[in-house]
Amino acid sequence: MSKLSKIFFDPYLFFSIFLISFLGLFFLYSASNGDTSIVLKQFIFVVLGLILMLLVSQPDPDLFRRYALLFLIFSFLLLGATILFGPEINGAKRWVRIGSFSIQSSEFLKLALPVFLASFLHSKRLPIQPKEVIISLLIIGTAFIVIAKQPDLGTGLIVALSGLFVLFLSGLSWGFMGGSLALLIISSPFLWNVLLQPFQRQRIATFFGIDSDPLGAGWNIIQSKIAIGSGGLFGKGFGEGSQTQLNFLPETETDFIFSVIGEEFGFFGVLLLLSIYLFILMRCFYLSLNARDRFCRLVIGGISLTFAANLIISLCMVVGLLPVVGMPLPFISKGGSALLSLFLAFGIITSMGTHKKFLPQ
Amino acid sequence: MIFEERQIEKNNFSSRVIILFALMGLGFVAALIQIFLLQVSSYSDYEIAALKNKNYIIPIQSLRGEIFDRNGRYIVRNEPTFDLITRPDSIKNIDSFLDQIEPVIFLSESEKFLYLKLFKDKAFANKELVLKKDLTEVEIARFNVRSHAFENAFIDKRYRRVTDYPKIFSHVLGYTSRSKSPYKLLSNIPISHWKDGELIYANGFIEGKTGLEETYNSQLIGKPGQRVYEVNARGRLVKSLEYRPSQNGSSLKTYLDIEAQMSAAKFLGSRRGAVVAIDLSSGGINVLYSSPSYSINKLSNGLSVDELQNLINDENKPFFNRALQGRYPPASTIKPAIAMFGLANKLVDWDFQIKDPGFFTLPEDGRVYRGWKKGGHGIVNLRKALLVSSNTYFFSLAYQADINELALHLSNLGFGKDVCKDCFDEDQAFVPTPEWKYKKINTAWFKGDTVNLGVGQGYFVATPIQLANYASILANKGKGFELSLVMNSEERYMPKIWQNNEYNELDWKRMHQALTDVIESDFGTARSIRDLKTFSVAGKSGTAELVGLDSKEAYKDLRDTELLRDHSIIVVFGPMPNPKYAVSVVIENGESGGAVAGPVAIEVLKSLINNE
Repeated sequence: MSKLSKIFFDPYLFFSIFLISFLGLFFLYSASNGDTSIVLKQFIFVVLGLILMLLVSQPDPDLFRRYALLFLIFSFLLLGATILFGPEINGAKRWVRIGSFSIQSSEFLKLALPVFLASFLHSKRLPIQPKEVIISLLIIGTAFIVIAKQPDLGTGLIVALSGLFVLFLSGLSWGFMGGSLALLIISSPFLWNVLLQPFQRQRIATFFGIDSDPLGAGWNIIQSKIAIGSGGLFGKGFGEGSQTQLNFLPETETDFIFSVIGEEFGFFGVLLLLSIYLFILMRCFYLSLNARDRFCRLVIGGISLTFAANLIISLCMVVGLLPVVGMPLPFISKGGSALLSLFLAFGIITSMGTHKKFLPQ
Repeated sequence: MIFEERQIEKNNFSSRVIILFALMGLGFVAALIQIFLLQVSSYSDYEIAALKNKNYIIPIQSLRGEIFDRNGRYIVRNEPTFDLITRPDSIKNIDSFLDQIEPVIFLSESEKFLYLKLFKDKAFANKELVLKKDLTEVEIARFNVRSHAFENAFIDKRYRRVTDYPKIFSHVLGYTSRSKSPYKLLSNIPISHWKDGELIYANGFIEGKTGLEETYNSQLIGKPGQRVYEVNARGRLVKSLEYRPSQNGSSLKTYLDIEAQMSAAKFLGSRRGAVVAIDLSSGGINVLYSSPSYSINKLSNGLSVDELQNLINDENKPFFNRALQGRYPPASTIKPAIAMFGLANKLVDWDFQIKDPGFFTLPEDGRVYRGWKKGGHGIVNLRKALLVSSNTYFFSLAYQADINELALHLSNLGFGKDVCKDCFDEDQAFVPTPEWKYKKINTAWFKGDTVNLGVGQGYFVATPIQLANYASILANKGKGFELSLVMNSEERYMPKIWQNNEYNELDWKRMHQALTDVIESDFGTARSIRDLKTFSVAGKSGTAELVGLDSKEAYKDLRDTELLRDHSIIVVFGPMPNPKYAVSVVIENGESGGAVAGPVAIEVLKSLINNE
């Protein structure tokens, strides 16, 4: 087989992602009350994304490793540009305009950070040294604070998690972890007051029942639970969800799109959707265990675990297990940047998982 | 890295990635369990919550029952009127809409102000809004010709509660007005939704406030229906999902007689007073009229503040229902009751005679109680005492009575009690007793008080309806019904019999004869009304003194002040010898009972007999 004719492609990942993103278009149609322009835009992103995923799968993992630092710096610059020049939407600066496109700059960091940390740590001896850990944590902390201050706590947490996953997978000592956990708990009042915006504090307080105000901050969660609960086993049918169609449910196209699915397709619909997600995660798990080297393993593990965390937080949020921090449902929620970043992520995973190194015996 | 080291690293990675994926798995399972709890375990709770969100129930007003007289003629009916109604959500420019409609339909400043005030809210939730109430025929015609130009406005029917006899039945019917708590009718509809209710009446959700409208409100009002709308999160009505029609209220058939009530009003004229007539076969009230009256239509459908103030401040007190609440001394009309007491207790018999010198002297202190005729009536027996209304005879009869027994006897005849089952706000008036006097004015009972009671004066007061009830017991020879305004086929009330073994049929016959002679004989005190009719009538008149005076001369000075003049009272029943109706008439400051109140009673009796 010649090298040129070889296409790096993982059929399991590709087709399950293909399936879930087209199902997502279908859900989005109902969630947007039948707004075809939104669906069409999303469709274009899905097609572009699938192509991007295929393209990104082709280069050898070494390429990513080599350019990881550059990618990270570029991502931070983009983030800086957002803070300096980005338009303020709903009191938050999250977007940067490039030509006619708006890009949510923090999405890039979600990939750049784990790839960079994997490239930084993959060659280090076990156990990794405090100096390396501190450098890694500084980068992670900077990324988190910058994004959380936009404010976009949800993405900030996910970005931080992506870095921490890589750090953990690369052999962070257990003692260190125990110590930092204790430190985190001690410093939590400080984090609460400095990092969180008043509305975020409000949401978290509401979640823990400190401030029960059914028409205020708790309203969204109540309506989301009503939507999901009233879907029952079989759901109310496509386009028939009263919570969704009569606008009782907020943010149906983004944060609460899962509630739409729960309401209109019921428990069985939800099970079907979750099993596709589960399949994707299982495949990533398999690829991470069988990747050719440490760098690939760390990247696949870091990115796919980030994906899993993103999914689970998003689910737990809308079903009332976690406070609402604003987290889209991967591959389904409206949003081009998030979608492209996901396809990019799975392109990287495919590249890492399908390239084999022919080692001299 | 050497191979072994790489293998250690790989194992380390594997175990760590397994730990993290397992953690993610736990989160995944937690979410799944929560979804199961929501969608399967608590499904019905959330289903109800979702329905509550989207379903907006509004009430539909029911049509109130109508009220008929005993001959099936309308007393109160629902009269349709026409209102101009708009759909604010389809009106794009409110100013140009008003400019367009004003040449067609005149709008007052207050109508426009009210409309503009409510416009935004109603437009937001696409609800209807009344622009102008009670259109004239000309306005309806003008609008209909141009209706194609107004797609967002239409004319709809709304009812008003009216009577064709507004000034005659006002006290007995009572009025309706906007209800303060209509939501109590349908508890499943939240209070805040009632403002959006579908109305049938022009003045909103109404309820009876006084009279029959109040007493029978729960029957008349019917049951509101309901309409369920699907509503979105912003409160906009999306579509109608369910409709349950309202149930009309049931109508009332009363014993009232329009003609008789009209003649009571006509013959009382502008004088202050009351007329009550009772059907002897049932205890049904045929006439219940208090004068002066006011227009019940205006009170129910909107009265200006000035008009209301004038009514409230009127010194004749038109809102005061004299028939049920006016307290008057029964005066000589009580004498038949005293006679019954004397006979039953063997204090007198029909042959017992006294010499009437024109006054009675109380043996204890020598105080003199005068009769109405100077010089007296000579030798009087019981029959003559009733005919000529001898005060001396009844003073001396009452003098022998035990006051507590006499008070009990009067209370058995309905005095000092409610006598009507369904009258609104009836006053009990009172029969004085020693106990009452001590409590009320902290004075001991004098024998003279009992003597005064014998001629229906002193502390004793009764209402016109109590007097009519008393007349009906006399007419029915001791049989008394609980009076009622509304015919009720389900509940038959057994009459209560005034029983006393010592008082027999013969006594009743002689009593009826004596009372007939009061009017029909040449000596009766009420003979002046004898020729007003073709049938014979029994009765007893009275002149209630407001000021105790010793002589007629003294009264002549008093007459100059109208409000201190005597009240004119009469109770009658007829036609004799088999009476069908009993009537009481009281005319305030009307003076001589027979001559003043008598003709009114006879006219009412005549119209009742002619109208059967």
